[in-house]
Amino acid sequence: MSNIWLLYSGFAAVLVFVGLYCLLSMRNLIKLFIGIEVISKGISLALVATGFAKDHILIAQALAVTFIVIEVSVVATALAIIINTYRHTGSLDVRRLTKLKG
Amino acid sequence: MILEIVLLCGLVLFSVAAVLFRDLLKAAISLAVASLLLGIIFFLMKAPYIGAFEISVVAGLITVLFIVTIALTKTGGDVREAKAASWIFPLFFVVFLALDFFVMRGLMGKIPALQGTPEQGAFGEVLWKLRTFDLVGQIGVIFAGVLAVLALFRKRDKDE
Repeated sequence: MSNIWLLYSGFAAVLVFVGLYCLLSMRNLIKLFIGIEVISKGISLALVATGFAKDHILIAQALAVTFIVIEVSVVATALAIIINTYRHTGSLDVRRLTKLKG
Repeated sequence: MILEIVLLCGLVLFSVAAVLFRDLLKAAISLAVASLLLGIIFFLMKAPYIGAFEISVVAGLITVLFIVTIALTKTGGDVREAKAASWIFPLFFVVFLALDFFVMRGLMGKIPALQGTPEQGAFGEVLWKLRTFDLVGQIGVIFAGVLAVLALFRKRDKDE
């Protein structure tokens, strides 16, 4: 059973890596948020795969449902912030936000 | 087993496409396809509830939210990304894949099989009886999200 778990965790790690790369290298605010979504896919895969490998799929599903609810709230709030930022600065460039610095 | 590996590879492929596409609409749709594949993987893991949630909420609702945002910010969407971002990616990705593969192969057989007693009952029972307070937290999070969106889109007072 642990080999299957390693397979799923390996793929979850790849997804988290792709998301982190996106967060570190991209400048578009919506792109950054897509990176966060990719990371959250990796996390939910790891959660459910651990439950599957341990024969505790029901409790893993309960945790993953909570995680998805949190994800939806975060998406709604962050996209609202992105729209407000766009109205304020006229651009989606994350570097424009440094104007308030100092 | 082969079906799972193909689906997982597709999931990674579409996630990479979502990150690398310059067109935001294509990126959002790739993300939806990746969620769909993840939902199918959950179905194969005998987790139908979370699979249905993933497909309906993440592939459906979140994609709609993304597309609405992209439509509302259409004219500002052409942000120039750093040129290095697209050609450094394959390099790092291959290095990480090799590293990941060797670490996982090294761990194979060393981690003892996870022991667990099989669960009894249905999903609803587990959710209501074992994780009751998760539901309270979920309701709190939903309210917080709704209030945050309302606060962000409130109209200015007349005297401001």
